[in-house]
Amino acid sequence: MEDYKFLFKVVLVGNAGVGKTCLVRRFTQGLFPPGQGATIGVDFMIKTVEVDGEKVKLQIWDTAGQERFRSITQSYYRSAHALILVYDISCQPTFDCLPDWLREIEEYANNKVLRILVGNKTDREDREIPRHIGEDFAQRHGMYFLETSAKEAENVERLFMEIAVELMEQAKCKELPKYDGSLGPINGKTTSVGDGSCCLRS
Amino acid sequence: MSFVKCCFEAGEGHDFLDSFVQKCTDPGCCCGCCSALRPRYKRLVDNIFPAIPQDGLVKTNMEKLTFYSLSSPEKLDRIGEYLFQKASRDIYRRRHGFVIIAMEAMDQLLVACHSQTLNLFVESFLKMVQKLLESTDPQLQILATQSFVRFANIEEDTPSYHRRYDFFVSKFSAMCHSNHIDKPTRDSIRLAGIQGLQGVIRKTVSDDLVENIWEAQHMDKIVPSLLYNMQTAEKYDTVLCMEGGAGEEQPARLAEACLRELVGRASFGHIRSVLRPVLTHFDRHELWIPNDFAVHTFKIIMFSIQAQYSYSVVEALMQHLDAGGNRSGDPRDYTRVRAARAAVLSNIVAIAAADSVGPSVLEIINNLLTNLRASVARDSEKETDEKLYQEALINALGEFADHLPDFQKIDIMMFIINKVPSSQRANKGTKADAMLQSILLKSLLKVGTTYRTVELSKAFPAAFLEALLRLGGGAGARARTTLQRILHTLLDRRDNAPRLASPTVEVCELGLIVEKCSRQDLIFFSKHGYALFSSLYEGLQLESNTMENVEAIYTTLALICIELASEETVCDIMQLILAIQQSSLSNPVLSVAQQCQLQAISISLAALLPHVMMHTRLTDYINKIIAARREEAPHLLPPLQEDYDDLPPAKMPNKLPYLMMDQMALCDLLKSHGVDVTRLSSTSPYTAGNVALPHRHSWVEAGAAQGRDSLAEITAPGTELDSANSSPGVQRANGTASCVSLEALRRAAGGPSAAERRDAERRRATLNNAFRTAPFDHLLHITQPKYEIKDKLEEIFNSISEEPLLPGSGACSPAAHKSYTSAVPPYTKYFPELFLY
Repeated sequence: MEDYKFLFKVVLVGNAGVGKTCLVRRFTQGLFPPGQGATIGVDFMIKTVEVDGEKVKLQIWDTAGQERFRSITQSYYRSAHALILVYDISCQPTFDCLPDWLREIEEYANNKVLRILVGNKTDREDREIPRHIGEDFAQRHGMYFLETSAKEAENVERLFMEIAVELMEQAKCKELPKYDGSLGPINGKTTSVGDGSCCLRS
Repeated sequence: MSFVKCCFEAGEGHDFLDSFVQKCTDPGCCCGCCSALRPRYKRLVDNIFPAIPQDGLVKTNMEKLTFYSLSSPEKLDRIGEYLFQKASRDIYRRRHGFVIIAMEAMDQLLVACHSQTLNLFVESFLKMVQKLLESTDPQLQILATQSFVRFANIEEDTPSYHRRYDFFVSKFSAMCHSNHIDKPTRDSIRLAGIQGLQGVIRKTVSDDLVENIWEAQHMDKIVPSLLYNMQTAEKYDTVLCMEGGAGEEQPARLAEACLRELVGRASFGHIRSVLRPVLTHFDRHELWIPNDFAVHTFKIIMFSIQAQYSYSVVEALMQHLDAGGNRSGDPRDYTRVRAARAAVLSNIVAIAAADSVGPSVLEIINNLLTNLRASVARDSEKETDEKLYQEALINALGEFADHLPDFQKIDIMMFIINKVPSSQRANKGTKADAMLQSILLKSLLKVGTTYRTVELSKAFPAAFLEALLRLGGGAGARARTTLQRILHTLLDRRDNAPRLASPTVEVCELGLIVEKCSRQDLIFFSKHGYALFSSLYEGLQLESNTMENVEAIYTTLALICIELASEETVCDIMQLILAIQQSSLSNPVLSVAQQCQLQAISISLAALLPHVMMHTRLTDYINKIIAARREEAPHLLPPLQEDYDDLPPAKMPNKLPYLMMDQMALCDLLKSHGVDVTRLSSTSPYTAGNVALPHRHSWVEAGAAQGRDSLAEITAPGTELDSANSSPGVQRANGTASCVSLEALRRAAGGPSAAERRDAERRRATLNNAFRTAPFDHLLHITQPKYEIKDKLEEIFNSISEEPLLPGSGACSPAAHKSYTSAVPPYTKYFPELFLY
């Protein structure tokens, strides 16, 4: 059971109410919790996926978007292998905050972290940010880009799978020692992700 | 069931047997053979599981397993590994009952095993804990935490270098923030999270080799998690609720206990790493306003921290006072936050004071003053929040000083007064300077209030007193009042000040506490009394005085009367009283109200003095005057009034000479009590009017402060005064155009000649008196310059004597020349002293 080859830490960030928790819930539990309350501090989920026949364990840290928890959430960036930056396509302000978030990531996260920009809530009718705007932004800042809908389960699976694939690629091409179950998770830094070319859109 | 399991397990086997069994994929493989082939430890482990999880751990089999692992500890790691695998699978299949049993078994093994052999087992144990924590089931998470805590309480004697706790810190912190819908569940998850953090702290804090828990990445998670739980408590019980097992059921309580433990274990280098997240958390969660929780938290920190480091908390908070200004948009909010922070500071600073020593004390004071100065600099008058901030800082200063030993308080007061902008600068200087001055004086007052005077000479070191008195002249009316209050608090040893807040003649009813003046105090008075008195006297002569100023000076004088009254000093005090009375009549700058006020306080003081001295005849005399004034001129008696507008000209103080205290009569009365009155019968050393001059040379300054060096220069001010006084009407009227009244004009027209003569006389007397009363230091100072004269004379004598010598007899014997020069000095040397007397 504990035969996963890789362990990756994925952290979700973004303004309050953009749907980070819903994305995680949809992916880990396959459900869309209506009326999900605001996350406090940070939440934790785990999911093991299979990539090329190898098991990859994703530790997903779902952070609170509220400003007041910023200091504790920042402390989670550091050990992340991938950061998912989420905005709400029907809410311009959440998009406008992206530069701030990038600054924060720049400051607190590992500079080789894999960054993915996600425009959530594609199911909404009242789209405010066209797809290409998000794409441009992602490209400019060297991020992957994806639009999702946690409600419709659109692209959610793909999002996490692509992260897993990409991280595994990086880990493999760096030929870093693989995550080896016998050492145990307590060994901390399991597979550190190399500085793959994150600038290309997948 | 067991054989199904065994076939599954084979997958990750280690030894030969397992790899053999691996090939046995046929589910129908015979059970007996299978279990016989399995290693013993696996069979033992399998046997502890009951058929159905509700039955719980099979006790007897568990004992067997324990015994086995004790007797062959080298198998422990495999047992652990095997248990872990079983549990992982059970978690996956959601058979939580078996998971719980596996965990229980692991706990038991952990406790039973000797610590040397534990190391390997711990790896699987922790993997198991992590596995449980990763599940979404609260029950398993809590179970895992309990096991972890049990593990944390075991003292390991072999360090484990490669063990890492970052997952646990992250996960437990996340649990502390649990937002489970069901409140009891939420509380228990949070509780478990805190317990887990506590466990991690316990496990790592003492062991440098493991993981540095003080690193920012951990502290940034732990501290906010604890604080978050603490802040959700309905009310913050006042400190020291550390004990009490029942209370720990609540997350808030436990979080508090945990924070105490954490802070208590922090060494000097680590304090900062705890404080930084605390401060950030308060900023982020906007917990400064209201600041109850901040105060509560910081008190906890102060009480739990190792005493010698408490100073660094104060320091950190102080440095944080100004932090984060750019974040909040509204500057008003920001100021308010700052004020709240300062209030927190004032709450905790006292706790630090007891343990602060040496330079750290002045450092704190200096820091506070710097903050005050910064506040004044950005102050915009109307900002009440800024005022609150300043008040809070001053309070902090006071609180801090309150807990310092007295000798340090004086040092601090010296320190503060040196920071006060000088009076000259304040006069022409900016408003900010005046503001700073008044604020620093307030701080000084605050510190002074905490000081308990024993000996006046200790409370007023010469430099301090001098600085205080010098400030008195130049400051604004408000600042002068504050200055007097400082004097009150330092002079008042017997809590008489409140009773003497305003002048009264009914001294008997005040219930004053009077004790005999000590020898040391008399020495103090003889040294500094004159300086003190003349400063106060001059303070009364300012036309900008309000009633408050006059009353404050009255209180000071009354306190001096009480503290210092004795046979030796009574003349000086009486002399001052008479001078005040006189000045009320002769000082042309004073308004009618001020004149009346001066009359009132002089009579009040005159009534107080014999009461203190218990001179009955003097009392009778004063009472007679009081009675007469009550008849004819109640405005010359206390209480003071703001204005005396409806006063008919005939009732002006200077029209009522028969209601004044008479110098000769007082002399006689005092003489009858056996007091040496020679000093009183001579003219007063106090001069009116000279304070009105911008360029002031009082004796205090000339002698002590400025250090004028020649006698010629000391007399010089007199001539300056003359020239200024000879045309007072023109100059002063110009200067004070705003308050020209009929009365002032009349004074200017009619008064000068008489007043002037008196002034000149008085000045002469001042000089005489100075030599009689001034302290030895001054005299020394004054006589010193004369050696210059001596030197000059000597030079002249020499030149005169040498000139005829040289041309007269070029071959004059050197011996003769020497004898001549050596004969001269004695004259010159003693000449000045002779001149002096």
